[in-house]
Parts: sequence; structure tokens; C-alpha cells
Amino acid sequence: MRRLPPWAALVIVSAVLLLACLASIALGSREIDLAGLWQVVRGREDEHLRQVIAAREARTALGAVVGAALAASGMLIQGVTRNPLGEPGLLGVTSGASAAVVTATAFLGFSGGAATVWVALPGALLAVLVVYLLGRPAGSHSVVPLILAGAVISAVLYAYIQAMILTRPDVFDSFRHWVVGSLAGASYATLGAVAPALVLGVVLAAVVAPGLNTLALGDDVATALGTPVALLRATTILAATLLAAGATAAVGPLAFVGLAVPHLVRALVGGDHRWQLPIALVLGAALLLGSDVLARVIARPQELMVGVITAFLGAPFLLWAVRRGKVTA
Amino acid sequence: MSARSLTLGALLLAAIIAGSLATLAWGELGVGVPDLLAAARGEASTTATFVLERLRGPRLLVGIGAGLAFGLAGALFQTVTRNPLGSPDVIGLGAGAGAGVALATLLLPGLVPAPVGAMVGAGVAIGLVHLSTGLGFASPARVIITGIGVAAMATAVTQYVVAVALRDSSTQLAGYLVGTLNSRSLGQAAVIGGCLLVLAPAVALLSHDLRMMDLGDQLAEALGGSAIRTRTWAIVLSVLLAAAGVAVAGPIAFVALSAPHIARRMVGAPGPHLVLSALVGALIMVLADFAVQHVGPLENLPVGVITAAFGGVYLGYLLVTAWKKADA
Repeated sequence: MRRLPPWAALVIVSAVLLLACLASIALGSREIDLAGLWQVVRGREDEHLRQVIAAREARTALGAVVGAALAASGMLIQGVTRNPLGEPGLLGVTSGASAAVVTATAFLGFSGGAATVWVALPGALLAVLVVYLLGRPAGSHSVVPLILAGAVISAVLYAYIQAMILTRPDVFDSFRHWVVGSLAGASYATLGAVAPALVLGVVLAAVVAPGLNTLALGDDVATALGTPVALLRATTILAATLLAAGATAAVGPLAFVGLAVPHLVRALVGGDHRWQLPIALVLGAALLLGSDVLARVIARPQELMVGVITAFLGAPFLLWAVRRGKVTA
Repeated sequence: MSARSLTLGALLLAAIIAGSLATLAWGELGVGVPDLLAAARGEASTTATFVLERLRGPRLLVGIGAGLAFGLAGALFQTVTRNPLGSPDVIGLGAGAGAGVALATLLLPGLVPAPVGAMVGAGVAIGLVHLSTGLGFASPARVIITGIGVAAMATAVTQYVVAVALRDSSTQLAGYLVGTLNSRSLGQAAVIGGCLLVLAPAVALLSHDLRMMDLGDQLAEALGGSAIRTRTWAIVLSVLLAAAGVAVAGPIAFVALSAPHIARRMVGAPGPHLVLSALVGALIMVLADFAVQHVGPLENLPVGVITAAFGGVYLGYLLVTAWKKADA
């Protein structure tokens, strides 16, 4: 298959994102037809409709930002580990962040807001560190131990989170949806709270993207070309963790977004990380919004958590990557 | 069977009995040994009868039965895949069975019994893993990774079903997702008991061939066994056993994984150790259930939370030691 020029791919995914945004505002457990939507835009409408739309706007904005952050995080991890299965969810980043937030809520009396992200960040870093220590025996380049270690850490942390939530239902009533990853109850305040971490993450990602191209040639070549490999790697992991922790603090753990999007992006534009980053950002936003729309309409009148949809749509990419022989023992 | 295995088996049995008696006797509404003897003669007080028939008795029996089933299933699967990590709960079988139970009981109530749902779900999950690896069960690495993916999808299905059918009930969701022994019935105890009565003899018939499998496919063929037939039967039995356990207790994590490991370590010799694995599985369940019934901070948690936490830590420890050894 001939690849599109990168700018054309960017135009196409942007159009998809635009459609997803429109769908996210128009569709939901309460339907609004396009005429009603147009009236709201022009300022003539009833009050109730306006509030529904306002809530959906906030939800759409948060969904787009979180999707973009997770996709970029996955792309960075896959780039720096040269590992097609690198993903913040699979490596325990998101469960580490969640466990930290749950701990802070249960014992320190946190209740969301700006501080959450700064609690989530060390939790995410700690989980990644443990996963790497468990899953990276000296001299081995296999991905399997890493993924397995990630699954183990996630399972243990999930048990811990479940225990916390079930034993202290009063504290966690508002957290139940957050635990599976949900955009319900999104607000601009949440977005503002996590924005600094996410902006910093994206800036760092843009800085390291050209370096990742060199790193793809192998450590030795990269060193010979004058790339500070250790610094590059540390910065990339920091950026990926910032993005994933910020996204998790905002909406809870969402698995597989960071896995699926980079695979799609590589199919679209190939291996150049300078183009991969913007396209991953846009496509991640579109994918999460699409999943969220599906989550809102698939179980009407009940609303499904978006994390359920992303897991079901994203997990096949894992099977596909294995099937394509990208995993070696 | 060696003398050492016999001694270990007797010790495990004693530990299971002791744990069971403690679970029944401890705390408020406890039913001590004298009450049990009275109940056996049919002259127990109404309170004791109620506790035995409705509260603690069923969950104890279901726990033991599910533990036996998980332990056997894990031992079978690990032997034929020659993969210490290839256990039903790691490769998505438990989650698949859980999704099947949720579908059967919530969306098709009365039409499909829960055990049938569990078996179909487990079969679909394992079929998906088998297809997606591209190499069947030959590559442990691929089996594990596809299993993680299949488990994630199955969990998503369960969440969808619970959201649609129960609207919004987080405690019940936890039961379907992590496995619990809360509010079991004697009917469920009969289900797992019946499944074990049918399946355990089948496993016993297979055990001779399994021991040969442990020596390697080629040697087993040379000794007159058919490796493919043995493997197929072992996997089928393992799926049925795990599904039976999930049908009555939910997808309880890591018992099928850790029980055969612990059994192998206790014996100190390679081999399937089917009986000991089953006993260890039952003991794990009894102890975990004791913890959620009587240990203060853990009280009333689903038992699956306990096994996931401890089993996960144990798996982590296995990872570290296994790969250290592989390096050396």
C-alpha cells in the first residue's frame, strides 16, 4: 500500500476528529437534532438544552485532550523501548496513578481537583519503576517479561483499589466510575487541573521526537551520531509518564488507547516520529471521543464507562501485534 | 506415589479441615465442633442449622470445591503447555468464563444455566487465544500476551452486561469481575460437587499419559502415548474444571496459577502432582475465605480480591526468581 503524504494524513485525521467532536456534542442519552444544535450556537434556545450542550462541550474537550495525551504517551513508550507493545496501561502506569489517587483520597482526604495529578505522577513513576525491575532481567531483550510484570502489578493494584472502594463506599461514591475510566462528570475545572502536566508532557515530546528517529537506528548508531542516549531516554520516559499520569488523574485508567493509536499512526505515516507525534495526538483524541460516543449510546438509558469500550476496541491490536509475529520469546 | 507425596497430602488435608472448622467456629454465630456433631445427628439448634445451611456452610463447600477445581485445572494446563505461567487465569480463561456467567445469568436468565455459560465463555476465550497466537499453544510468550488481551476484552464484556442488566450496582459488579463467595447456596455447592465427581475420574484416567507428557512429546510418543490426544483432552478437562469453578465462585484470580507451583515446590520433584495441586487450591480458598470473614480490615471483601493481591505478589516473586535462573 502506498502511504499518503504526511500532511494529507494529518488533514484526514483532523477531519475525523472534527466529526467525532460534533458527534460527541450531538449524541448522548438525550438526543439533540442538528436544528436544535444550530439554535444553541446562534444563541436562541431553551435553558435546559443549553446546559446539556455545555456539559457535553466540557466532556468533549476533556475527552479529546485525554485521548491525545494517552496516544502520545503510547507513541513515546513504543519509540523509546522499540517495543510494539509499549503502552501506559499495559506497563502499569495507569494503575499506579490510580492507586496513588485512591490512597490519597482514602487516607489524606483528597477529593479531586488540581492536586490529584501531582499525586498520580509519583504513583505512576513508582509503578513503572517496579514493572521495569520485575520485568527486565539483565541482558534480556524480550518484551514478554515486561508485559507480564505490568499485568501482575496491575492485578495487585486493582485488587488494592477494589478493596479500598468496597470497604469505604462513602469516600469513593463519586470515584466508582473513575476507577474504570470514564468521562462522565467531566468539567473544565478537571481539565484546568491537569493541563500543566499535559502541556509540559507535549512540549517534552516535541523536543525528543527527532531524537527518537535516531534512537530507532540502535543505541550504538545513535551514540555515534552524537545523541545523548541516556538523557534522551530519561526525558522521553518522563514525558510519557507526565502525559499518562495527567490523563489518568483526569478520567481514571484507560487501557489500550496508547497501544492502538501508534499502530494506526505507523500504518499511516511510517516511522518518522516528527510526524507521528501530531498525528497520534489528533487520532488519539478522535478515537477516545468516538469510544465515548459509543459508550453513551450502546447501553441506553444507562451509560457505559468509556474504559470498557477502549478495552474492547484496543485489545484486538494486542492480538494482531502478536499474530504478526512482533513478539518474540 | 511417593511416601513424601502421601505425607504432604495428609498434611494438606488436615490443614484444610482445620481451616474449615476455624472458619465455621470463629466469631459471632460461630458453630463449634460440638454443634457440628449435634448437627450430624440432626439435633442442632435452629441458629446453628441456619448458619450451616444458609450462611457459612455453602460458601465453605463452594470454596473448597472451586479451589479443588482451580488447582486441578492449573496443574493440567501447566503440564501440557509446559509453561509454568500458562494457567487458566493468566491466559484469559477465567475472565472468559466470568463473561459467560454474566451473559447467562443476567441477559438470558432461566434459558442458559450459569455453568453452561461459563463453559462456553471459557471455550471462546481459549479458542481466541489459540487462533490469535498463530502457533497454537506452542509459544508460551505469545500465549501469555494474547491471554492478557483476551482477558481485557472479556472483562469489558462483563462490564457491559452488568451495566445493561443491573443498571448500577457496583457491589454485584465486583462479584462478577473478581469472584466472591458471599451469599452462596447449597445448590451451587451441589453444582461444583457434581462437576468434580464427573471430571476428577476423567483426570485420573489421563494421569498416566500426563506423566509421560512431562518427559517431552517425543519420549511420550516413543513410549506409546499420543501427545496430541493427551494434550487435547487435558486442555478440554482443564477448561471444564476452571469453568465449573468460575460458574459457582466467579473468576477468582491466581489460584489455578499458584496452586501447582506451590505443590511442585513442596514435593521438590517435577511432575503434574494433580492431587496435591487440587488440595493446595482448596487450602488457598479456605484460608482466603477465612480472611474475608474474620480478619478485621479485610472483612466482607470479595475473596477474589485477596487471591489477586497475594497471588499477584507470588507471581511477581516467581518472575524475579525464574528470570534470575534463566540468566544464570
